[in-house]
Amino acid sequence: MFSGAFRERLRNSWVEMRENPARSVLQALGVILGVASVLGGFSISDSQRRRADQLYVRLGGLDKLNVQPNPVVNDGRPTALQTANLGLRNQDANDGTGLDVKQVAGASVVKFARARVRSPWGDQERQVWGIGGEYLATEGYEIAQGRGFSSQDVASEAPVAILGTEAASVFFPFGDALGQTMRVGDVPVKVVGVLEERVFKFRKSGRNIFRWRNRIVAVPSTLVTRRFEGDAYQRLDRVTFKMHDVDAISAFSKSLSNLLKANHRQQEDFRLDDVASRVRKRQKENDAYDIIFWLSGILSILGGGIVNVNIQMASLKERVREVGVKMAIGAPGKEIFKEFLTEALLVSGMGSAVGMLAGIAFSKIITSAIGIPLWMDPKSFLFAFLLATAFGFLFALYPAFKASRLSPMEALRYE
Amino acid sequence: MTPIIETKSLTKTFGGNGVAVRALRGIDLTVERGEFLALIGPSGSGKSTLMAILGCLDSPTTGTYAFDGERVDGLSGADLARIRNQKIGFVFQLYNLLPKASVLRNVELPMLYAGVPHKERRRRATELLERVGIPEKAKQLPSALSGGQRQRVAIARALANQPVMLLADEPTGALDSKTGHEVLEVFSELHRQGNTILIVTHDLDIASLASRQVEIHDGRIAGSTEKVA
Repeated sequence: MFSGAFRERLRNSWVEMRENPARSVLQALGVILGVASVLGGFSISDSQRRRADQLYVRLGGLDKLNVQPNPVVNDGRPTALQTANLGLRNQDANDGTGLDVKQVAGASVVKFARARVRSPWGDQERQVWGIGGEYLATEGYEIAQGRGFSSQDVASEAPVAILGTEAASVFFPFGDALGQTMRVGDVPVKVVGVLEERVFKFRKSGRNIFRWRNRIVAVPSTLVTRRFEGDAYQRLDRVTFKMHDVDAISAFSKSLSNLLKANHRQQEDFRLDDVASRVRKRQKENDAYDIIFWLSGILSILGGGIVNVNIQMASLKERVREVGVKMAIGAPGKEIFKEFLTEALLVSGMGSAVGMLAGIAFSKIITSAIGIPLWMDPKSFLFAFLLATAFGFLFALYPAFKASRLSPMEALRYE
Repeated sequence: MTPIIETKSLTKTFGGNGVAVRALRGIDLTVERGEFLALIGPSGSGKSTLMAILGCLDSPTTGTYAFDGERVDGLSGADLARIRNQKIGFVFQLYNLLPKASVLRNVELPMLYAGVPHKERRRRATELLERVGIPEKAKQLPSALSGGQRQRVAIARALANQPVMLLADEPTGALDSKTGHEVLEVFSELHRQGNTILIVTHDLDIASLASRQVEIHDGRIAGSTEKVA
């Protein structure tokens, strides 16, 4: 392809392009705008999608699989098996983690209770979180002072508590919660940890939608099941698995479902929060967006291409004499054809390079205006470039053909 | 030795459907190598049409035309382009230089289409510009040159591929008489060096420089005058 003749033609086209800057810029304009809009559209949608993914993950959505108890509803009296059912327990969390050690990042359990919580400064009826496993980590909490619960704490039902910032400021307004004793129900517990404040806002000036998470009053799950809301089986309200890879959830949830059923005497007394299907649905939506952007990209480049043909046809009128001169001094029609095409290829190639810069700038402006980080897929660059070059080439065919068919005598006489 | 040009009962008809214009009505013309020939005649006589056919820019309707020993009537456009490129050098009344291209590139252009390598093109174009006496203008645009200088560039371009014949169409038509004579002097010099030159003109003064004058009238050769040296 890069034979000597082609290189020569390319060099010649480059010279002619520089000799006719106005014409070349006009010719490139369609490609520039087309590429900029394709790339801009793709990048903005990609950025937004990526941002949405991150939001889901941070809000506690996509990368987690929740298991909750589901009462087996029957008319009449429960069967013996149902009565003897063990329910959702710690064992389920442990067995689930064992299913796929590579993919499961952590498992946590929680058992809620309502209790009267008292300290020298506050006395409120509150929800109490009985937590176990890696609850703090999987839910995104970090310890500000003190420590989390050790496995020893959980195993021995230790009377210890961890407070969120809001709870800490209500019950210990002077910021000295750590080490103090408070009462949860009838149990005196010692505060061993205070959490970092959780803040999450869609916009800088927006509401903190994680405010409720700061209200947490956490004690070991075993303490709740024994002393507050428990039964002999130590049933739980929720088991959560956090996954490394969102795409692995759907396979994992199937095998988990089988495992739990086996653990629960073949009773479907649990409900997997169907994140997998939610993910699938979202991916389908993404496909639809992709098609829309493909279409709009092709359309905008098509528009650019039509502008391109127009400009080339208009400039062909100006170029008739030039073509006549070239033909008179010995350029055959085929050579004129190739010259036009090479020039179009060069112009659209360079135009798409400029268009990419414009597209980057464009997406940067838009994404910073709506306050999301910019993310560009290398594939969209390739796509925009190929599309523009292909169209630049296609749309040059007709003008090039017209030029190559001029008769030298008529072209020379053209005024 | 075969003549450069040999035509037999050459005709050219334009139009066709009822309103046909017969521009040439049977031209028999032979031009020998090394001749300096002037085609003269009033406008509308058909001399421009004849020049176009002789210059392989156009094909005759009927008749035969042999150029440099090769039959060219009925050749394809690409073959005619090859002959124009390698064997004929054109000089036009309005120079017909590419306005946006430098003088040097204008002179290089015929060599580009002949496939001469880049460096060789540059070297030969520079040499040609020296030969026509304007080597210092190589980097400039044609618009920065005077008419006489532009015509010299055109002559340099015509000579680029060492053609067997120079074909000039009213080469002094746009020049004042002094520069016109200087340009004609270039042609005379080229003739003395052995080039075949064919000039189309309506100016008898210019024609008188040629070694032979052929007068065209109404699409026919009306007369031929040999200059007595």
